[in-house]
Amino acid sequence: MPGQRWYTPYLFALPALALFGVFFVWPAVTAIQLSFMKYDVVSPPAFVGLDNFVRLLGDEKFWTATLNSVLFLIGLFPLLVVLPLLLAVLVNQKLPGIRTFRMLYYLPVVTSMVAVAVAWEYVFNQQGVLNWILTGAGLLDQPIQYLLDPFWALPALIVVEGWKSMGFYMMIYLAGLQTIDTSLYEAARVDGATAWDRLRRITVPLMIPYIAVAFTMEMLDAMQAFTSVYVMTRGGPQDATLTLGYYIWSAGFEHYEMGYASAIGLVLWVVMIALAILNHRLTRGKS
Amino acid sequence: MRTRNIGMYVLLTTIALVFVGPFLILLSSGLKPSDQAVFAFPPDIIPRPPVLDWVKEAWTAIPFPRYLLNSVIYVGAMVPAYVLVSALCAYPLARLRFRGRNLIFLAILSTMFLPGEVMLIPRFLVVSQLGLADTYAGVILPGLLSAFGIFLLRQTFAGVPREIVDAARTDGCHELRIFWHVMLPAARPTLAILAIFGFISVWNSFIWPLVVLKDSAKYPIALGIAYLAGITGTDVRTLAAGTIISIIPVVVVFMLMQRHVLEGMRGAVKG
Repeated sequence: MPGQRWYTPYLFALPALALFGVFFVWPAVTAIQLSFMKYDVVSPPAFVGLDNFVRLLGDEKFWTATLNSVLFLIGLFPLLVVLPLLLAVLVNQKLPGIRTFRMLYYLPVVTSMVAVAVAWEYVFNQQGVLNWILTGAGLLDQPIQYLLDPFWALPALIVVEGWKSMGFYMMIYLAGLQTIDTSLYEAARVDGATAWDRLRRITVPLMIPYIAVAFTMEMLDAMQAFTSVYVMTRGGPQDATLTLGYYIWSAGFEHYEMGYASAIGLVLWVVMIALAILNHRLTRGKS
Repeated sequence: MRTRNIGMYVLLTTIALVFVGPFLILLSSGLKPSDQAVFAFPPDIIPRPPVLDWVKEAWTAIPFPRYLLNSVIYVGAMVPAYVLVSALCAYPLARLRFRGRNLIFLAILSTMFLPGEVMLIPRFLVVSQLGLADTYAGVILPGLLSAFGIFLLRQTFAGVPREIVDAARTDGCHELRIFWHVMLPAARPTLAILAIFGFISVWNSFIWPLVVLKDSAKYPIALGIAYLAGITGTDVRTLAAGTIISIIPVVVVFMLMQRHVLEGMRGAVKG
C-alpha cells in the first residue's frame, strides 16, 4: 500500500497488544506457575511440584464446589437455554407494544448483580412474596427461609442467576428467529400444523446453531457463578452454595493460598475449554 | 383473533411482572414509612404515604455521593478509552495487510475463553507488582481490552466502501487521518453501541474492584451497595432505597438507548 510504512499497522494495534500482554498473557503464565507453588503473599513463592493438585483430589470442599457448579450448570439449562427460546418466540410476534415487553424482559440484564441479589432477598424473605404465593397456592405448608436452608439455597441462587440473564439469551434467540423465512410458517399453517408442531418441526431445527451458542454461553456462565453467591450466601449454609468460582476467591483472598487457588482455577479453565469443545463437537453434527 | 390478542397480552404482562416485580418490591420497600410493615401476608405493596426518609438515610449511611462520583469517574475514564483502544486495533485488522494479522486477531479473540474468575488471582498479583493495587488505575487498565469491541468494530470497518478510503488516500491522507476522519465517522452507530454496553458494564462492575481496592473511598457504586448490605443493622428500607438509587442511572440510559442495545446484541450474534 503506497504511503504506508511497514510498522503503521502495529502502531495502531499497540495499545491493545500491550494490554493483552500485561493483563492476559502475563497473568495466564503466572497462574500456571503459581499452581505449582505455595504462595501466601507474605513469604516468597516456593515450588511444591504437584502438591496443590494432589491436595485438590483429597479436598472435600473442592468436590463439594465442583458438584455445586455442575448443579448450577444443570439447573441453569432450562432457565437459559430452553425458556428463552420460548420467550423469543413470544416476543417475535408482530403486536403493538411488543418492543416494550422485550425491553422489560431485558431489564434485569442491565442492572448489577448486586442490585438483583438485594432485590431477590426481599422476594425470598420468610414473609416475602414468594412464600405468600407458594403457601397461598397450597404448594407449601410453611414459609421457607430459602437462603438459609441447605436444600433450597442453591436452587434459589440458580433462579436468581437464571432470571437475571434470561433476557440476554432471549435476544440471542430473537436474532436467530428473525432470520427464519416466515413463509415456512405460512405453509405449515395452511397444512394445519399447530403452534406446537411449528415450534418442534420448524423453529427448533432451524435454531440449532443458536441453541449451541446459548448452551456454550450457559456453561461458561454457570461455571463462573460468583457475585450472587458472594452477596446472598457467601457459600453457605454449610457449603451448600459453594461454587468453584467462589471457592477460588475464598482460597485466594480469604485464606491467602494463592498457589492452591490458582490450581483450582487451572482445573476450572481446563474443564470449561473441554466443555466448550465437547459442545461444539456435539452440535456441529446436527446443524 | 381479538380474544387471542387479549390472551397474548395477559401472558406477556404476567411474564413482564416476573421480570419487573422484584424491582417494584424493592422500590416499594424503600419508600414505605416506618410504621408500615415491609413484609406481610398478603403483600402490602403501596407505600402509605411514600416517604424519602430512607433515601436520605442511605445517602449518609455510606458515602453514597462519593461512590456515585467514583462510578462516574470509572465510566468517564474507561468507556472512551476502551472504545478508542478497540477502534485503533480493529482498523488495521479490517483494512490493512500485514504479517501476523490473523495471529493478532486470534490472540484477542482467545481472551474470551479466559474466564474472569480464573484470572482474578494472577491478574491481582500482576497489578500489585506494577504498584497499581488499591488505585483507580488498577481498576481501570485491565478493563480496557475488549474482544467484543474489537470484533464488532473490525466488522464495521470492513464494511466501509473502498471508494471512500481510496479517495482519501489519493488525496494524500496518511492512515491516522483516514482512521480519524473517514473510519470513525462511518462507524458512529457501532461506537454508540459500544459506549452504551461499556457504560452498563462499568457501572455494574463488582468483582474486579472488590479484588483490587482496599480503600473503600474508591469503591464504585455496586461495591458500595454490597458494603451497605454487609453492614449489620442496616434497615431493610434503607438498603432497598440505596439499591434503587444505584440502578437508576443505568436503567435510564438503557430505556433511552434500548433500540441501540438490542440492535447491538443482534449485530454481535450475527457476527
